[in-house]
Amino acid sequence: MALSFPSIEWVEEFKKQINSSEGYKKAGATWTAGVVALVTSAKPEIGIKEDVGIWLDLHQGVCRDAKIVTAEDAQKAPFCITGDYARWKQVIKKELEPVKGMMQGKLKLKGDLPTIVRFVKASQELVECTTRIETKFLDE
Amino acid sequence: MPYDTSLNFVFWSPTKIVFGENTALDVAIEVENLKCKKALVVTDRELAKNTDIPERIKKVLGNLCVGIFSDVEADSGIHIVNQGAKLGKELGADCIVSVGGGSAIDTAKGMAILLKEGGKLQDYVGFQILTRPQTPHIVIPTTAGTGSEVTYIAVIKDHEEGRKLLFGDYNILPNVAILDPKMTEGLPPRLTAATGMDAMCHAIEALHSLQKEPIADGMALHAIKLIKEFLPRAVQNGKDMLARGQMLIAANMAGAAFSNAQLGMVHALAHTVGAKFKVHHGLANSILLPPCLKYNADACGDVYLDVLSTLGVNIKRIRPEEAGSAVAEKIIEFTKKLGLPQRLREVGVPEEGLKECSELALSDGAIVYNPKFISESTEVLKIYQQAW
Repeated sequence: MALSFPSIEWVEEFKKQINSSEGYKKAGATWTAGVVALVTSAKPEIGIKEDVGIWLDLHQGVCRDAKIVTAEDAQKAPFCITGDYARWKQVIKKELEPVKGMMQGKLKLKGDLPTIVRFVKASQELVECTTRIETKFLDE
Repeated sequence: MPYDTSLNFVFWSPTKIVFGENTALDVAIEVENLKCKKALVVTDRELAKNTDIPERIKKVLGNLCVGIFSDVEADSGIHIVNQGAKLGKELGADCIVSVGGGSAIDTAKGMAILLKEGGKLQDYVGFQILTRPQTPHIVIPTTAGTGSEVTYIAVIKDHEEGRKLLFGDYNILPNVAILDPKMTEGLPPRLTAATGMDAMCHAIEALHSLQKEPIADGMALHAIKLIKEFLPRAVQNGKDMLARGQMLIAANMAGAAFSNAQLGMVHALAHTVGAKFKVHHGLANSILLPPCLKYNADACGDVYLDVLSTLGVNIKRIRPEEAGSAVAEKIIEFTKKLGLPQRLREVGVPEEGLKECSELALSDGAIVYNPKFISESTEVLKIYQQAW
């Protein structure tokens, strides 16, 4: 069954996919820089009434926790990436590479870019994980 | 230089460019055009100590100038940005006029954020997180190399933590760049050569970057053509105003090109030896460019053929896979003529420091866009060793 993005069910499936990914386990093995939060900006016309945060507690190749949080809480993460719904959809569909998106202003990063860059392979593996989720996009 | 249907890019370069001899004298007009009344001049210590340029700018600004902040040093730090912003607030500055090279310009970009947003500079580390235009900023470059007057990046060091903080935001792009050849007239030959090679690297890296695109390509190729012709002249005779002016244009075009197309491994490796061993950025780029071109040769031969052609080489008998090495040889020949050092060991890098640099370079943002994916420090080390 397709899972709506973003939703609690989608986030739980994302955690499962991360933890069953050999690619991420390897690429993220030395990640100790803390939580990465992904914020989708509000889009009331498709049912997203306020900004939605996805909290990913990543540590040494494992996702220890994944949950939906408020945008305010998401900002407390050491790395917070914010984008419009359409941009996240492009990321999930592998039409937009996240680091390129940050450079071009399509995604906003609060946090240290060099740390993200060091783990660019891990970020690609995370995107791979999202492609394995049967996703229902709210604007389709 | 073919592109396929997957081509997609954003080209963003809104900075107004004012070019010409003595156009620095128009700075007051530009301040007024921005609807500002209280300009703070930001410059570096060396420039303030050794030239009268900052004072001349102050004089031209007249009543529009509220003061000069001249404490910027190489590898500008948060503490310097804080001091400058504090002075700006005390003086009620509503715009900044930065006069100098990359450090002065980047410091001014940081000050522009603090004057508008308040808080701590560390709160704004990241990419594209500012939501509104920052304090108006006019740049008058005194070197022809960094292109920082048209880039959306500022690098400012946190000396306490011992790391460089990266700020990337379209909202910190300067509003106006005044390219006045007279402002670079006093730059010594070696610095002229080194900063000019920085611009050359910006242009070549924009061309081989994974994010290359046609508009940036056009600017980069023209920049290379100008640098080839006018950098030797500017080095030989600093008073050659035609050469000085064309070099300012070349650096500006290369800056706009790389600000959009990004860079590659040359800069990643150069930033690292610069941070670790204080090697001048332009010199580090100049030395590291040839081995990096050879490393990337099998990934972007067509691009390097274009570079060769722009450098005036007949490319009819050169195969794409040979082009990287051929460009590398051409660059070596060019930098030798400019009198620049050819090896990292000549600029104070100890051999035992290369291993650490090779690990640190992998965290540099520029490496993401290198045409060949590089994730192993052993590969980086080999390139450093070739350059050593």
